[in-house]
Amino acid sequence: MSEQARRLPEWFTQAIIGVVVGLVLGFSIGWWLWPVQYTNTAPDVLRQDYRDDYVVMIAAAYEIEGNLEQARDRLRLLDPEEPSAPVIKLAERLIEVGGSTEDITRLAHLAGALDALTPALSPYLENDL
Amino acid sequence: MSTRSPRHVASVVGLGIGLVLGLVYTWAIAPVELVNTYPALLRTDYRHGWVRLTALSYVVDGDLERARARLDGLKQEDVALAMQALIEEYAAAGHSADSLRSLTALARALDVHTSAMLVYLYTPTPLPRPSLSSPSSTPLPTSVPTLTRTPTLRPSPSVTPPIPEPTLVSTPVQRSVSPLATTISNLTSTPSSPTPTPPLLARLQLADQEQICEPGQRPQVQVVVTDERGVGISGVEVWLMWPGGADRAVTGLKPRGGAGYVDFDAEPGTSYVLGVGELGVPLVTSLRIEPCPLDEEDGSLMGSWRIVFTPRPLDTPEPERDAGG
Repeated sequence: MSEQARRLPEWFTQAIIGVVVGLVLGFSIGWWLWPVQYTNTAPDVLRQDYRDDYVVMIAAAYEIEGNLEQARDRLRLLDPEEPSAPVIKLAERLIEVGGSTEDITRLAHLAGALDALTPALSPYLENDL
Repeated sequence: MSTRSPRHVASVVGLGIGLVLGLVYTWAIAPVELVNTYPALLRTDYRHGWVRLTALSYVVDGDLERARARLDGLKQEDVALAMQALIEEYAAAGHSADSLRSLTALARALDVHTSAMLVYLYTPTPLPRPSLSSPSSTPLPTSVPTLTRTPTLRPSPSVTPPIPEPTLVSTPVQRSVSPLATTISNLTSTPSSPTPTPPLLARLQLADQEQICEPGQRPQVQVVVTDERGVGISGVEVWLMWPGGADRAVTGLKPRGGAGYVDFDAEPGTSYVLGVGELGVPLVTSLRIEPCPLDEEDGSLMGSWRIVFTPRPLDTPEPERDAGG
């Protein structure tokens, strides 16, 4: 019985070693070798440059279709709480970096329609697209 | 062997437990963080929305390279489905011909094809056809490449498709006529004697007008455009205009009615003008929804109109266009 009792920790040690090795393997497989594949994502997890493009395209579509609710719904996919926030942030960032005036103007028009115009964007409302 | 076997079993069991725990943790509890994805990973409806936004942005800025970059990585199937849906939706909703031409130019550049776009690839070609009496005066795909050489009123060099396909009508003389010049020319001419696009449209005239009385049917103006042989012509713009408004549709988008069929909902008490072509050349004026004469019960049944346009023979002078309803 005493010999049996001495063997039990050895099994336990072996099992612990096995668990640790298994965890390492599991982490390696799950995070690097075969991670979760996302296919049905939403626009809010797009890379920043794609998100920016998405906002610019929403502003362009609003220019054509004039459908403010549709534009708002699309922007809610990026910011459900404050749909106009991505428009303003992008427009002000484009102003800072000297981005396309046409894009900034479209964003300003959309921001104005959303009642979210900022002083930085106001001058662009006078621009003719 | 008897002492090593339990250790071996313990190791294997431990490894299995560790592996399962590790995978559960990495796949379910703390999976790879979902950031910095790209459009191809979007859910199907968002992907189609992305394509739609790309196309609408192209209509605004005319930047083909930018549009291509935005669609980069998306499956052609997604692009094709979304573009087709957008073009057909825009055609059915009567959006401006300029917008539709831009969309169709983009679709063509992206190798997307749908029946509705053929109309807009064709329409601005203001040139006489090689043979006036040829049935090919209907909008056929063979005339498509000509338009894309002088794409839209928007001065955007990037609209020009990369692979122009030479056709019979793409001669230097014909290319010198721009859609802009044609549009201005047409706008300055009198509405009653237009010289719009193809000869067929200029020769269309009222051939038949019949009141249709069917209980339960909403009043409509149904239009059928046929060629000289009575074969329906698809892709003809038909305008229903009234004081303060207008609706536009293109024949052939409702296959149940035939290739040359289009219909509009109409309201009693309104005087309509029915026209064809990009400029809505009026062919029927003072068209009104009227009660059915055989409705003896209470006179509330309003009849629809079925109107047939066919081209007059080439040797016949142009008749009076005012054929009131």
